[in-house]
Amino acid sequence: MYPRPFEYARPDSVGDAIQALSGAAGEGRAIAGGQSLVPMMSLGLASPDLLVDVGRLPLAGAERAGGTLVLGALTRHRELERSGELGRHVPLAADAARYIGNPRVRNRGTLGGSLSHADPASELGAVALAHGGRVVIASGDGERSVAIRDFFHGYFVTAVRSGELLTRVELDLPPPGTGHGFSEISNRADDFATAAAAALVTIDDRGLCAAARLALAGVGDRAMRCERAEALCRGETLDDELLGRLNRTVVEAVAPEADAFVSAEYRARAAGICAARALGAAWRRAREERL
Amino acid sequence: MSAVEVKTRRRVVGSDLTRHDAVEKVQGRTAYAADFSLPGMLHARLKRSDYAHARLARVDTSAAEAIDGVVSVYTAADVPRNTVWVDVPGQTLEVGALKARSNVLADEVVRYHGEPIALVAAETEDAALAAVDAIAIDYEPLAVVDDAERALDPDAPRIHETGNMLAHWELEEGDVEAGLDAAEAMVESEYRTQFVDHAYLEPEAGVSWRDTDGVITIRAATQVVEHFRDVAKILDLPDNRVRLITPYVGGGFGGKEDMTVEPYLGIVVALTGRPVRMVWSRQESLMARQNRHAVRMRYRTGADAGGRLVAMDVDILSDGGAYALLSALVLLYSTTCAAGPYRCPNVRIRARTVYTNHTPCSAMRGFGGMQVALGYEGQMDLLAAELGIDPLELRRLNFVERGDTLPIGQPLETTVELPALVDAVTDRLGPLPEPSGRRRAVGRGFACNLQPYGRCVWLNDWSSAWIGFELDGTLVIRIAVPDIGGGQASSLIQIASETLGVPPERIAIHIGDSALNPLTGTTTATRQLYMSGNAVLEAARRLRERLAGVAAELLEVEPERIEFAAEGVRERDGSRSLDFKALLAACASVDVAWHVLATYRAPKGVPWQADETWRGRVFPDFTYGCHAADVEIDLDSGQARVLRYVAAHDVGQAINPQSVEGQIEGGVAMGLGYALSERLVFEEGQNLTGSFAQYLIPTAVEVPDITPVILESGEGKGPFNARGIGEPPIGPPAPAVAAAIHAATELRLTELPFTPERISAAIGAREEAADATS
Amino acid sequence: MIVGFTLNGSPQRCEVPAHWTLLRMLRDAAGRTDAKHGCGEGVCGACAVFVDGVAVNSCSVLAPQVEGAAVETVAGLGADGELHPLQTEMVARGGVQCGFCTPGMVISAVEAVRIGAAGSEEEIRHSLAGNLCRCTGYGKIVGAVAAYRDGEPE
Ligand SMILES: Cc1cc2nc3c(=O)[nH]c(=O)nc-3n(C[C@H](O)[C@H](O)[C@H](O)COP(=O)(O)OP(=O)(O)OC[C@H]3O[C@@H](n4cnc5c(N)ncnc54)[C@H](O)[C@@H]3O)c2cc1C
Ligand code: FES
Ligand code: FES
Repeated sequence: MYPRPFEYARPDSVGDAIQALSGAAGEGRAIAGGQSLVPMMSLGLASPDLLVDVGRLPLAGAERAGGTLVLGALTRHRELERSGELGRHVPLAADAARYIGNPRVRNRGTLGGSLSHADPASELGAVALAHGGRVVIASGDGERSVAIRDFFHGYFVTAVRSGELLTRVELDLPPPGTGHGFSEISNRADDFATAAAAALVTIDDRGLCAAARLALAGVGDRAMRCERAEALCRGETLDDELLGRLNRTVVEAVAPEADAFVSAEYRARAAGICAARALGAAWRRAREERL
Repeated sequence: MSAVEVKTRRRVVGSDLTRHDAVEKVQGRTAYAADFSLPGMLHARLKRSDYAHARLARVDTSAAEAIDGVVSVYTAADVPRNTVWVDVPGQTLEVGALKARSNVLADEVVRYHGEPIALVAAETEDAALAAVDAIAIDYEPLAVVDDAERALDPDAPRIHETGNMLAHWELEEGDVEAGLDAAEAMVESEYRTQFVDHAYLEPEAGVSWRDTDGVITIRAATQVVEHFRDVAKILDLPDNRVRLITPYVGGGFGGKEDMTVEPYLGIVVALTGRPVRMVWSRQESLMARQNRHAVRMRYRTGADAGGRLVAMDVDILSDGGAYALLSALVLLYSTTCAAGPYRCPNVRIRARTVYTNHTPCSAMRGFGGMQVALGYEGQMDLLAAELGIDPLELRRLNFVERGDTLPIGQPLETTVELPALVDAVTDRLGPLPEPSGRRRAVGRGFACNLQPYGRCVWLNDWSSAWIGFELDGTLVIRIAVPDIGGGQASSLIQIASETLGVPPERIAIHIGDSALNPLTGTTTATRQLYMSGNAVLEAARRLRERLAGVAAELLEVEPERIEFAAEGVRERDGSRSLDFKALLAACASVDVAWHVLATYRAPKGVPWQADETWRGRVFPDFTYGCHAADVEIDLDSGQARVLRYVAAHDVGQAINPQSVEGQIEGGVAMGLGYALSERLVFEEGQNLTGSFAQYLIPTAVEVPDITPVILESGEGKGPFNARGIGEPPIGPPAPAVAAAIHAATELRLTELPFTPERISAAIGAREEAADATS
Repeated sequence: MIVGFTLNGSPQRCEVPAHWTLLRMLRDAAGRTDAKHGCGEGVCGACAVFVDGVAVNSCSVLAPQVEGAAVETVAGLGADGELHPLQTEMVARGGVQCGFCTPGMVISAVEAVRIGAAGSEEEIRHSLAGNLCRCTGYGKIVGAVAAYRDGEPE
């Protein structure tokens, strides 16, 4: 019904935040937007001893640096969704962000929180994986950066260790001639994905697929790339026949678990459908961009 | 469409009057049950069972009691009389003297996940929460019965000493086997519905305090202020020492018909003498408040070559959950409505409801009359296909009419406008929309229904209302009716205004108080407008007659020529008039009271005798409807999207058309959630649907544009010939969607809800079969 | 701890434990019950309020997180007891039944129109997707939002 008591700290700097987290007696956690943590505490699914509010640290903002887009951990889902500027750089993220929860969850939820929370159904996890890049993590020993593909370790587990903070995400921007596609199947408008797929498809001079990235959410213990499907795309035209094959490839490649509401078979089926739709959309956009 | 004419022009009744409660609500000023606090109040919470069926070996509250701020922790032994009795009508002796009991707090055995075991009262909500966590319980698990069929096995574990049969109703009219043998076409199918939560937005809540004279006063979200009597019994107090007040309620739909927080509030006040508040979380509301019954139905339906029904065999098995509550009555509705709004000479109905270790089931919008719509309408569609007759034509051939009798013996006394309702719906549908893309298919389905309004006549239902003028010419209505959101109070204002001329904004209504207002009975069973509306109308008419007499003398005109208007009375087609103030002064001088207490009594009936040959009236009357849904199916993902929905009901006379539309639209939305996404999921009795993120009621995105169609036949048993409309719209959506899915895909789905997974599995299975044969 | 913020324009200082949510602080410390507890898990939207002009689910924000912020509930919307134009539409078009979802619904709808997320009926429906209503079937609410957006009072 309500969160149980905890200690609360609102430090002014990243350094102080890390110090507070490392010094926690018992379980210390960062709180950013609180859109996963507070409901979980209310449901009795989390009861930290210390919360370190990172919501006012200077970790917002986006900056383009060459082939990467640096996004502060406090970038809100709503900014990804609605900022035209970000939408131009990472339209895949803008597309995906629309599917996250409801408008108020998006108003407060943050990119850093979403990635750190590491719900396997998270849209932004799949988006980050499709782009590739690095996650920058601050700890008492300074900063380190982890490749996004090595970031997710399992259900709600990431490379962020206790006492550490995710400070920013560096997304690789795809080359010109790339189109994006995002597709999701869920049980209700504001519900978590049954399965979702994020795709980036790059077209070469001959109008064939030069490279494809396909990342899936909701079908395992973490967001995952599907390299078998990506390989099938290379050098090809993504026509209906191939999209059908890609769908079946994904269904075979994933091994989701069942829960009380959705069977493993249906999740896999949904992933295949989303993959084909996302790749198809990315392909069409890439071709439009070529023209 | 002869039926749509409005017979009389009226001033207030029949107009889209702005609901008087809406302005406060939209500003957030309405005080709901949880919005109250009292000085020095305690906070109460329940410790609920983690097991679906277990013996309580040890309940240790010592650690909880030691927590700072905890005032007391109560268990079964502390409750003055730890029993709630309910009457269980029905052809059954298995539950003892037609009564079944449940406990206020579990005693020795828990029978469902979430059953209350201990009650904590603390100075703060945080202390109460901590205390609940600190109560230590040793359970000895018992075998769980989580299937209604299994509950009937002779060797199934017994949930109550009396056995697992809760109630049954059985009847046969004519000769069903002979009828089916002779039928030209016979269709047979099984249908399944799921457990459903009311999911109103306001979780159960209330406050309580000891008032003047020691009267324990409870202000709680309830549909039934008469529960003050049940609380009194639990507290071992005379009935007149408990008072129940209900503020505006944030939705009911039957979920606040049985008691929720009331007994616990009463216990804390009685035992501590201090005021208290109890608010249930959404999660406990979902986990442990009673649900709508899951039902398994088997139908065999036969027709002659022309499409006329000749025989119907219906077998209904419903899962009543762990305690009796209202299951037997719910099943009576299923029994009454099982054959649908169709004539059939030979009908056999066997309906049973059993105990299991699921959350107890009880009242929910549609109250047993709605689940069977999936069955009887599914059968009509199957028969139509079998006979090659258009499904609507087949229905038209078989609709009941005024003067007919339902298989249980229920006479149909008012007009049955089903043909006009079908026309109204088809007129508004327009062409079938095109699919929005490849691998998508669109289909259209129809469904009709009947649903009783008013309570079962054996209950001798009545409702009272008091109306009186104030000296300044404003009007007061006093009536204990709970307003659960349907505009119950507002409609009563309209009725009084219509009769007495006083404009709605100059009428005050005091509702929902068992001590100070005349009792009206429950806001359930689509009965409030019908019953309380008639009571208010009766009171208003008598007051009018009385005042007209005084006015007639003063103005020296015939009483029949006295008209009531906004400011007072006047002579029809004449010039003489009198304002209310003057009229009341005149009344005072001749000792005529300007208030009236009136009681409306529903028609009566002879209660069912434990005898299969009993036939007779069960309900006052019915409301009929016809709905249509256009549904698009994504043939890959199995997702169903309702594109358009038309719902028509004959409401006799719409007191407030906007409120009627609101009831239709809300009922359809709830029916669509039932059809497509809602379900409580249990695993070995454990309720896994413990969060609002898992129990999927539709959002604005899933609910389509709904076109409500109001037909006014001018016949009904409510005030101004209105019929009830609260429950009727919930029945047709599921069968209409099923028919639309069939029209789009040729798949016959019979198990609710029609989730994407189920639709996709059915499509997959069919496509595989097609591949195998090609 | 003491949380200082403004509530519908007036300064507030509430003494609450850090683990209280904004919703709890509003209801049980500041005495403002127009934000409703419908689920406590961020799903239903009944608790929606503005924090620094941005709509949030107050059940999913901790009280200390609004230190120094401007909090506005539905009661703060209309000026001097007058209804906000959206509220007028909601009343006139029958968008209110039991009313429990209504305060949150109004907050969400006002934001949706303000940020341009209510252009079409479909957009309105998506903007309201996190505000559950069990009574109305949404149609009359969607109609009220569209009318408010178009500034054509009923
Ligand atoms: C109704 C509802 C629906 C939702 N639907 C979706 C959905 O469809 N898809 C989806 O992806 N999400 C969904 N969410 C979750 C939402 O996206 C969250 O916003 C997001 O997962 C977490 O972001 P946050 O900033 O709110 O993190 P918080 O809730 O503050 O924190 C989440 C976790 O991350 C940790 N954390 C946060 N920031 C950092 C940091 N900088 N460094 C290290 N650790 C950190 C916290 O300690 C905590 O463990 C939904 C939430 C709700 C309430
Ligand atoms: S109470 Fe906050 S979203 Fe439901
Ligand atoms: S009006 Fe009752 S929940 Fe919306």
